[in-house]
This record gives sequence, C-alpha cells and structure tokens, in this order.
Amino acid sequence: MAKKKVLLLGAAGLVAPHITAGLERYFELRLADIKPHPDGREQWPVDIGCYEQVLEAARGMDAILNFTVNRSHPVLSFTVNVLGAYHVLKAAVELGITRIVHTGPQMVISAYQHDFDVDDPPPRPGSGYYGVTKFLSNELCRVFARAHNVQIVCFLFNGLHAKPKAPIQGEDFPPFTIVWEDLVEACRLGVEVDAAAIPGGFQVFNLHSHQGHGKYVLDRAERILGFRPLEPVERLYRRPLG
Amino acid sequence: MEVLVTGAASDLGQQVAAALGHEHRVRLLDDREYPVPFGASACRADLLAADEVWGAVRGVQAVVHTAMPPADLPAAGLRREQALLEWYTRGTHVLLQACVDAGVRRCVYLSTLEIFRSYPDDVYISEQWRPLPPVQMEVLGPYLGELVCREFTADYRLGVTVLRLGRLEYEDTADPHERDLMWLDPRDAARACAGALRADLSQEVHSARRWRVLHVCAQIPNAKYLTQRAREIGWAPAHNFATVWGGKGA
Repeated sequence: MAKKKVLLLGAAGLVAPHITAGLERYFELRLADIKPHPDGREQWPVDIGCYEQVLEAARGMDAILNFTVNRSHPVLSFTVNVLGAYHVLKAAVELGITRIVHTGPQMVISAYQHDFDVDDPPPRPGSGYYGVTKFLSNELCRVFARAHNVQIVCFLFNGLHAKPKAPIQGEDFPPFTIVWEDLVEACRLGVEVDAAAIPGGFQVFNLHSHQGHGKYVLDRAERILGFRPLEPVERLYRRPLG
Repeated sequence: MEVLVTGAASDLGQQVAAALGHEHRVRLLDDREYPVPFGASACRADLLAADEVWGAVRGVQAVVHTAMPPADLPAAGLRREQALLEWYTRGTHVLLQACVDAGVRRCVYLSTLEIFRSYPDDVYISEQWRPLPPVQMEVLGPYLGELVCREFTADYRLGVTVLRLGRLEYEDTADPHERDLMWLDPRDAARACAGALRADLSQEVHSARRWRVLHVCAQIPNAKYLTQRAREIGWAPAHNFATVWGGKGA
C-alpha cells in the first residue's frame, strides 16, 4: 500500500529533525520550514505566517504535522503559533485534508506540579508568550474541528530527548519527558488512528515516556490512540542493588 | 478613578465614555480621530504597538477594553480574518501586559454573546454554558481575547470582568422585522461597564475569583439569554425593546 503523504512543518526546528527518519518508515514526508535544515535535507521553504505558502506546501498531502513554534518573541510568537496554526487549519479545510497533528508545550505542570494522577485537567498555560499563544492555537484547532471535517490530534510536551544509551545511575528519570522513538510512534498513531476514535474531532494528549512517578498519566493516550511507550525507559534509571 | 476606554472612535466607545463620565475621569483611546466628550482626555495608540499602549495606560486605575476593532482593517476575506486574529489575540495581550506593567488592577473586557448563537433556541443560555464560537473571526476573535485575559488574571493581581454583550441595537430604531433574542441597547452596555468597574477583583487571593464573566442582554419576555448574574454589579437593562417584543416574547 502506498505510504500516506504527510507535510512536516517546522522540519528544521528543535524537534522534527530527530523524528524525521523514524517517520519516513511510515510516511512519504514533505519537509518544510522557513530556515535551512540542520542536516542539509531538501525541504520546501515555507513561512507559516504566509497562508499562500502553507497552502501550496499542503497541496497533495494526506495529513499535516505541525511542529512550528516560536517561544519567546512578542510578535512572532503570535504570528507563528496563532496565525500559523490558523493557516494550517484553513489550508487543510480548503484542500480537503482531514488529519492534522498539532503540537505544543504542556500546560499543566505549573498548576498541578504537586499532584499525582494528572490525566486531563483544564490547561493553565499562563500569560507568557509561548504558553498563551500555543493555548490559543489549541482553541483554534477545537473550533475548526467542530466546524469542519478535520480531525486534530494535539500532542503536548515538557521535555524531549534521546533515549539514554546506557543505564544512568544516581539520578531519577525526568518527569513528563518523551524520547524520540515514542514521539515517532505517537505521530504515526495520530495520523493513522480512525477518525471516529477522536471524540469531538479534537483531542489533546500530554505525552511522555517515563512511567512510575504516578504524576502524569497516559491512560487517555492509550485508550484513544493506542499509545504506550515502546519500552519502559524508566528502567534505565534503576539503582543497582547488592 | 481615571479609566482608559479603548475603541473611543466607535459608537460603543462613545457610549461607555458618556456612562463612565458621571463618576470617573475618562481617558479615551483609539488609533484615529474621534469626538472627545467634555471633561474627558484623549490619546491615540495602535493596540499592536506596545510602546504606544504603554504610554496610554500610564496613570489610569482601570481599563475598559471595548474590543472594537480598528476601522482601517481590510474590509473582508482572508486579510481581514488575519488582521482580526492578530488584533484580538496579540492586541489584547499587549494591552493587558501594559496594564500589569502600569499597575492597573481593574479591567473590563467586552466580548460577545454571539459565541452562543449556535445553541438551539429552546435552551436558556447562562454563563455556565460552553462557548461555541464559529470560525469567523468577528466572533471567534473576541472569544480568544477572553482567553488571553483569563491567563493574565491567573498570573497577576489583575481583576478582569468579561461582559459578553448581546447584539448591539438601539431600542429606538430597532427593526421589528429583524427581531433578535440577543439585542442589547448600547446605552445599557455602557451602564454595565460602569457597574463592572465598581468591584476590585484584584484583591482576591484565589486567582479564579479575579476573573468574572457576566452576560449582558436586553430582558425580553421569555428571554433565551439570562442575565441574572449581572445583577451582582447592580445592572439591569433599561431598554428591553418592548414595542418590538411586546408582552408575548419570543
């Protein structure tokens, strides 16, 4: 069966280069970003603040992965995170693309950092540029999913990094952190999960790889997407006995 | 108090200025020329220009953000949607950040009941209902601005009252063939702003209490949009379109 064609926006950013090879096992990717790819990969030059560029890059695609972000600029954070998300949604609707994977930062730690069993509480992004603009982008996704035939799976992260190559001693594993292999798997599921499995056409998932603390649970991601960490990464942080 | 009123060039902004002028010093703000009522002061600023807005809020104790978009935005189409999106989101952020920086503690933000338009007419809409804004930015934009305001009340000692206004229509000139369950006379909208300014929510310790949402609408017989909560700011509508709705209601 032919692979689905997937537009990867933000292909040259801090996250996407680490998952591109993994995603290419499953999808025919079209890479796109406003800046050059760090590994010299060929990509479409796309400014997400320009609707026409987003539309052209999305033409012919089956799904869009939006990994674009601006974290701190008072103007560009709105342009990239809010207007950019709007452009992705609008382009998807115009082109009949029915699946988007949207991404952003976690929005629960500040309010629930002392709690456990944190599953799906209402987000508390704060007023900082990064949090509030990504929160607004999530609301745009929710509104478009309600109004149009587009399903949007939103992944929220705290930390992202490579799986340790060897056991780590003397340290606890980081909370709410996902390893690249699991992010690839989550993206695959986000693109391929049946539309009927996404209640309301829009769902948000806090994603990570390390279980055991009991703080940030993955039950919803498992129930709705079928996501679970590929390996028990937390076992690399075990204290030796004897 | 000295109160900054944005959107001064709009009819709503002028009504708010008139209503507030009885008990406050009013400073008007817009990015173009506008009439300045006797006793009010005036300034010009683009809501997207942080430096200009910073200067406009210096020295005021409260802000009423009418959220009336500038008149010089593109008339329609994608460019208008883009401009409105930026204006309602980044513009509101610029304004509220300026408020925080200037020590302003009270803010009234004017949103719209249109975010509930898609609910069927056999439902009583109160503040408990989930907003369901459409994708059109004339309505979605004000709702996104609400969300920006809320995050500022969580992070700072800033009290914000959101007044979700009905569809603005003067009672005297309302077309009986265009009856709308959501009508609100702008004079009543302005009086609601005056009422909303009276409480200092910024003193609340719990952040959830620094944020308040009230629905403001004419009270026609058999009203769909309930406004009992707005009584807590001492507001009741004076213009209820009786000649249009009569005693029968919708």
